[in-house]
Amino acid sequence: MSSQDSVHTLYSEHHGWLHNWLRSKLGNAADAADLAQDTFVRLLQRRDQLQLNTPRAFLRTVARGLVIDHWRREELARAYCEALSHLPEAQAPSAETRELLLELLERIARMLDGLKPKVRRAFLLAQCEGLSHKAIAEQMGISLRSVERYIADALYHCYQLRFENEL
Amino acid sequence: MSAAQPSATVVKQAIQWMLRLRESGPDQRLQRKCEQWREAHPEHERAWQRVLSLHQDLDLRAIPGAGLALHTLETSERRLHRRQTLKLLGGAALIGSASWLSKDLQLLTDWRSDYSTGTGERRSVTLPDGSLLQINTRSAADLAFDARQRLIRLNHGELMLTCSDAQADGRPLLVQTRDALLEGVNGRFTVRQRDDCTQVSVSAGQVALHGPGPSALHWLGSGQHWSIDAHGPRVVEQPDMDAAAWADGLIVTGNMRLADFVAEVARYRPGFLSCSDDVADLRLSGVYRLADTDALLELLPQTLPVRLHQRTRWWVRLERAA
Repeated sequence: MSSQDSVHTLYSEHHGWLHNWLRSKLGNAADAADLAQDTFVRLLQRRDQLQLNTPRAFLRTVARGLVIDHWRREELARAYCEALSHLPEAQAPSAETRELLLELLERIARMLDGLKPKVRRAFLLAQCEGLSHKAIAEQMGISLRSVERYIADALYHCYQLRFENEL
Repeated sequence: MSAAQPSATVVKQAIQWMLRLRESGPDQRLQRKCEQWREAHPEHERAWQRVLSLHQDLDLRAIPGAGLALHTLETSERRLHRRQTLKLLGGAALIGSASWLSKDLQLLTDWRSDYSTGTGERRSVTLPDGSLLQINTRSAADLAFDARQRLIRLNHGELMLTCSDAQADGRPLLVQTRDALLEGVNGRFTVRQRDDCTQVSVSAGQVALHGPGPSALHWLGSGQHWSIDAHGPRVVEQPDMDAAAWADGLIVTGNMRLADFVAEVARYRPGFLSCSDDVADLRLSGVYRLADTDALLELLPQTLPVRLHQRTRWWVRLERAA
């Protein structure tokens, strides 16, 4: 059975169930329909053979990743809009710039996904604010050596995503 | 292939060099030592170049409007974490997640639209009546088909509609934008919502433009281009771009200003793309493929006196060639 056939079988047998599961996570039928669709599209794009012993657990794993991406987008937009609302109007970026920046932040947030909170924070203080390692150590109340290790770890994590998984 | 992948040890060394140089400020002795390390083995140099480009891509200080980045990333991560803990692991029943959504912010409307596309994405949808709806990059549209009408609301971006008399069944096929209400009868047309107007181009057949006012009606004929804004509709005589070419994955320009071309290409690629004032008025005519906008941009210096200034993967500016 080709991988495309097996996706079709999965689709016909489990699409309704997946849609319900997603709806219970998202509280919204339209988003659930979109993400159910995206889940199957994602499966069609996979090159490796599907593991079909436990199809629902498998679908749930893929769908869960998409739910988190969806929430991440929502939360980024929400936090960004809030931050914007504290800016004087004259300093507010154009709609175009806002959309682009948000897209960029989403990319970066996805890249940093899975890092420990301290590692992530140290890295972001360096990349967003341009703080020196010493300043970061003071602000976070940790040793200089820890800061150096955290930032190097974060960069290596991003390196692997970018160059070794072809993200 | 695997020979080209620097080992983990070498990559980590390259990261150490990069961070040491960044922290030390200008230090010629350190720079020389780093150069010696890079020259010691081709693998070192490969790792170095990759780490450097990665570091530039992640340097948010270079991006305009990024002052809010740290706050946005941290706040959203905290909330995302909380939602994950609450909802995915707990599995409890949920309240609608969108109660906070503010409807007046365009960047939020996409996620509530029936059909939306991200940057560089195009979608084709066969509508329930058999008409073909194509949606261009960064666009969002809603569908409201009922007993009286077949209405497509273009929230932002651009769409192309291909329809035929045969599908009419007595209900008008309508496209609503901020500036106009259009009725497709037979044929193919594109509609684009811009910041200050709506543009309509008819590739085949006829389109009826309703309003402004209850009784006003204009017929837009095949081959015509119209612009509709608060002052009403007007014909655009010599458009500088083929309005329908995107459906074929192309930008086709005729004597277009470079600044307008750059704005057009920017719709299809992530990140910031701009040009400096001293090249904005250069003109270009040609056929460009949208599938690879990096390659598209690299073509420009061959025909125009410009060069690409690429600060990061997501920040590119066209400047006058020296």
